[in-house]
Amino acid sequence: MDAVEKANTERQKRWAKDKKVGEGTYAVVYKGREIATGRKVAIKKIKVGQFKDGLDMSAIREVKFLRELKHQNVIELLDVFSSKTNLNLVLEFLDTDLELVIKDRSLVFLPADIKSWMAMTFRGLEFCHRNFILHRDLKPNNLLIASDGQLKIADFGLARDFADPGYKMTCQVITRWYRPPELLFGCRYYSTAVDIWSVGCIFAELMLRTPYLPGESDMDQLKTIFRALGTPTEEDWPGHTKLPDYVPVGQFPRTPLRELFTAATPDCLNLLSKCLIYEPRRRIGAKEALNHPYFFAHPYPSHPSKLPKPAIKNTLPLEEVDGNVDLSGPGPAVKANPPNKLKRKHSSDDLNGRSIARKLDFTQHTGDR
Amino acid sequence: MTTGSTTTDASSSKLSLYEGSTQYRHWRFSAEQLAQARASLNATAVSAIGEKFEAGSSSGVSFLSADEEVLLVKFYLAKCSQLCIHLGFPEEVEATAMTYLKRFYLKNTVMDFHPKDIMLTAVFLATKTTNHPVSLESYAQRIPKTQPSDILGHEFLVAQSLGFDFAVWHAHRALWGLWLDVQNLPDVNMDELRNVYESAVQHVRAARLTDVELIYTPSQISLTSFALASPALAAAWARSKIPTEPEPRVLAVIEPIKQMIASQGAPPEVEAVRAVDRRLRLCKNPEKVVGSNAYMKKQEETERKAEEKRKRKAAEVQKAMEDADPFGSPLARDTNLDDDDDDDD
Ligand SMILES: Nc1ncnc2c1ncn2[C@@H]1O[C@H](COP(=O)(O)OP(=O)(O)OP(=O)(O)O)[C@@H](O)[C@H]1O
Repeated sequence: MDAVEKANTERQKRWAKDKKVGEGTYAVVYKGREIATGRKVAIKKIKVGQFKDGLDMSAIREVKFLRELKHQNVIELLDVFSSKTNLNLVLEFLDTDLELVIKDRSLVFLPADIKSWMAMTFRGLEFCHRNFILHRDLKPNNLLIASDGQLKIADFGLARDFADPGYKMTCQVITRWYRPPELLFGCRYYSTAVDIWSVGCIFAELMLRTPYLPGESDMDQLKTIFRALGTPTEEDWPGHTKLPDYVPVGQFPRTPLRELFTAATPDCLNLLSKCLIYEPRRRIGAKEALNHPYFFAHPYPSHPSKLPKPAIKNTLPLEEVDGNVDLSGPGPAVKANPPNKLKRKHSSDDLNGRSIARKLDFTQHTGDR
Repeated sequence: MTTGSTTTDASSSKLSLYEGSTQYRHWRFSAEQLAQARASLNATAVSAIGEKFEAGSSSGVSFLSADEEVLLVKFYLAKCSQLCIHLGFPEEVEATAMTYLKRFYLKNTVMDFHPKDIMLTAVFLATKTTNHPVSLESYAQRIPKTQPSDILGHEFLVAQSLGFDFAVWHAHRALWGLWLDVQNLPDVNMDELRNVYESAVQHVRAARLTDVELIYTPSQISLTSFALASPALAAAWARSKIPTEPEPRVLAVIEPIKQMIASQGAPPEVEAVRAVDRRLRLCKNPEKVVGSNAYMKKQEETERKAEEKRKRKAAEVQKAMEDADPFGSPLARDTNLDDDDDDDD
């Protein structure tokens, strides 16, 4: 066997896949663990064979950037290995994401909680920007939450570096509701300000508990923004009418933010408004945001461990399954994917674990209806 | 960026950025470490490949030495650069592909994988990792006698050999920063400076044919290139950065880099390369030569293992169906059966 292949096998053996937990556009995500320590991890398996141009760009970007970034508020890539034609990213396991937190109606957010999430988001983002990396897809569902409450920026599949100033970039990035007006107008030379706009939208959403600017199409998105924040004048945003895809979408008056965000403090609204400034160059930067009085005023940010979190279904029983599986087996010998019974291996312990898991899964399914 | 940082404020955060990089952590060596790594890689390869030759037939084979491997790789480093220029790829792609090629042969031997093949894959991969993707088909079309599958066939191997460390810090970028910075020196003549920069760029390119990037930092290499173009300007810049040192130490640090660029910065003699390549034909790993006995044997072995695995899986499926408990079936129908999970052990 070649040395490289051998090294890969060694790496692969350090991790075990247990159970499928999710599926994205280009990957299947498993819960797994580090064999030596039992540490919980997420293993994101990207199928490479299916792409006619080989390793696809999202996977390449994700690996490229996460290999370089180590920060408390950026998801940690622990390892990368391949299995046949799959690329496996071993990531720290994160219990939930900010979208699920926002949507969980049983949770009550204190102003200090929102401040804490915002501080962690800005810290992670400041680190990315300091490393000359634009995320370009910030939204609540890409802000994952660890079991200790730490928020982690994830999903770098659209990220890019911007060391080359004046390099033309695509404007087809960022999920619509979080996309800044300069991109909607087709601006191809943009900067860190695009991510800041997204953070502004997330900030507002944390207060409203519903998306702040939910446009129905790209055109409607501009209208939605202008309806909320007023149509920009030439003075607000010099030169915007000259942008490639500029179209007038109507005149809307500016309404003060406090009419919608009635409970927010002036500091809070001041920071929010600075994230949502039309002229990208005037929009606040991540570092500046971290020094904003909002973060130093009462109430102080909640300690991450005190932040509200959805109750995690299944945690207990699945831990039991984990305890039952064969720990000595190499790599992914254990594929505890309860609904997928045909693919499981069969030690007797394993079978017991499986039926427990399946029963619980079953009740959960019926309970959902 | 340790020495001669390219920004006016070499803040500690800047320092840690580079020092946290995979390049700094995984791909920096001393000259001795490099020589040793190559020697041991070569020795392992020679003994492993020797065993693959049919009994007795390897006795007369003259395997390549570590230096000969380096020579051949260097030839393809130069080719790699030509190819990128020919295809109109940005310098970022060219520099990155060359780094990949060098790193690849710190993990593999040319007797297993010929650099002319790896070069093509390294360039293709670099177009993607630097965010200048091209379609595989159009890329392959522009290279004579090359099918898309030739390039893709090695992509995973290359990525793996790189340890998936795709990001590379380049000297030409550091040089750009240095150039901007030098413009702030008092009494600089912009015309002269532009000429110095043009010449420094040539030195950075020459440096890519050498091992310097595996030993020194991008900013050290960029300062060296600048010093080769204009010793006076480089010294003036260094003194302006470190006013406390009349003879800035960085200028001494870059001396060995100067020598490496001067002595190794040119493509190798074609005749010497040709001789090595001719011998490579006789000593390359027979398992990798399509159609050879050893290749067939390896193929058969792989096929046999796959067949065993299929049978084992089929038996498991059979067993699972027989064992199926009452809770299983409705759920199995409920969720899509994850058929893609059978390919990773
Ligand atoms: N680090 C992680 N820890 C725990 N679960 C994760 C982790 N990463 C992803 N998941 C789960 O896997 C699912 C799929 O993740 P993935 O990042 O592939 O796609 P996505 O972001 O949901 O969608 P898309 O690929 O369309 O952006 C997530 O929704 C989540 O439930």
